Amino acid sequence: MLRTRELTKRFGAHAAVDGVDLTIRPGTLHAIIGPNGAGKTTLFNLLSGELRPTAGSIAFGDRDVTQLDATSRSQLGMGRSFQRTNVFPKLTVFENVRLAAQSRTGDSFALWRSASALAAVNARAERVLDEFGLLGYRSQLASELAGGDQRLLELAITLATDPVLLLLDEPSQGLSPEDARRLIDRIGTFAQRYTIVLIEHNMPLVMRLAEEITVMNFGRILAHGTPNEIRANADVRAAYLGTRPLSS
Amino acid sequence: MRRFALLAAIVALAPLVLRYPELETQILTFGLLAVAFNLLLGEMGFLSFGQATFNGVGAYAAARVLIDAHAALPLALVVAIAAGAVTAAIIGALAITGRGVYGVMLTFAFNEMAYYAAFQWRAVTGGDNGLSGVPRPGIFGIALDDPTRYYYFTALVVLLAFAAVLRMNDSPFGAVLRAIRENEERARAIGFSVRHFKVTAFAISGALSGLAGGLYAGLYRFVPLQAIDLDTSTNVVIAALLGGTGSPYGALLGAAIFTVLSNSLSHVWSHWPLIFGLVFCAVVLFFRGGLWSLVDRRSRRAAHA
Repeated sequence: MLRTRELTKRFGAHAAVDGVDLTIRPGTLHAIIGPNGAGKTTLFNLLSGELRPTAGSIAFGDRDVTQLDATSRSQLGMGRSFQRTNVFPKLTVFENVRLAAQSRTGDSFALWRSASALAAVNARAERVLDEFGLLGYRSQLASELAGGDQRLLELAITLATDPVLLLLDEPSQGLSPEDARRLIDRIGTFAQRYTIVLIEHNMPLVMRLAEEITVMNFGRILAHGTPNEIRANADVRAAYLGTRPLSS
Repeated sequence: MRRFALLAAIVALAPLVLRYPELETQILTFGLLAVAFNLLLGEMGFLSFGQATFNGVGAYAAARVLIDAHAALPLALVVAIAAGAVTAAIIGALAITGRGVYGVMLTFAFNEMAYYAAFQWRAVTGGDNGLSGVPRPGIFGIALDDPTRYYYFTALVVLLAFAAVLRMNDSPFGAVLRAIRENEERARAIGFSVRHFKVTAFAISGALSGLAGGLYAGLYRFVPLQAIDLDTSTNVVIAALLGGTGSPYGALLGAAIFTVLSNSLSHVWSHWPLIFGLVFCAVVLFFRGGLWSLVDRRSRRAAHA
């Protein structure tokens, strides 16, 4: 589904991502973990197209997407969510999701039609909102939602673009334990339908959801395997200096 | 729809109440310019500090084809629209490469360039004497020499343009502009090619501004250098902020108040901009949504949320 070859990003002399070969198999939830500064977010931004690599390549399906920008990758079916809540604050909850659904149609340059008349787009937006339990807030401004709900909305926006591959960047970051649990449950309900790359600090979440885990340190891949293999890996324990227990 | 009907009624009845058709025509042309400006600021979130560029280009283009080719009025207006759209698409494409305030400064700089070009290029623009002797032909056999008739012609064109703007704000395209205003990065991440939308919005705003310029050229049968100067660009910003950027109605209201005040106060006291400055400060400080937000709850909520 997604494959990187020798993927490298240098900032000056510092290689934030250094020769990473990553293979994401279709239908899996693949978590990328590692200590702070390991290069996870840089890797993520390379995958989503926010950054261009210094060297190496990225293939999505059988297509080389290394030189494509974030917009084109989204159009190919690579949907991303953001580490901080990233919604359209002064638009309604419905409009937030409706726009994402609209981006899949060829109607966005239509000047003479009414946006509310795009029936398929509206139906899709409603379905996604319903799935996330946000339909009751549809007329509220996104900025009026509570923090946990905004994060759900953020995910709903991404899903409304009908992606094939989901790139989730620390979805539980900054949430209260309760909101984090709610979010994890939500991801659990749709995980089966997508291929997901997940960056996450929350180890219980990773161990519960992930089928494969790649551990990064100093911009390189330190280990790769199933949650049980990673839990037992001595190198991984050393990288975390034993300060963070890997079992939940 | 009810609002638009009310607006149309006010526009239709205005000359019967206030017998200054030229002033009222000026309100409409300046109002259209403010609406065009607000398309960029209110909908897309881009502050254009060079809106007079497109107004001036439209005015000169219309005046030239009226003078040189004795063109029919509708044709002259189409030329003004095209000239405004092309100019705005080019300037917009360059201005949006500048981030934040640098983009604003680019529209400002291009306005300055356009002004000096108009100042120097006397053969086409008349320089600082202005371009006089612009004919105002009738349409469909109806003479428009009478100021009231020209007012009604302008009113018809401006109301049509205004209706088109309302329609566009409601369209999928308008929705994308608001998405760009709210969060450009997110808009890009859900697959909108933000650049194309921005340039298109500039072209549309330029087309409307060019139209306003063309109508203005016909109004006084004269295009002063002022049509393209920075003062006009500044006045557009002030009028739109005064009226409120949450709605095209706000821009129109602001333009009407600005035009009436600047005409009446300048007769009373030559330092009238001082008073106006105070009013403007009060609006910006205390009514962030502009005067229109006092009328319309929805735009008030959007301005404060």
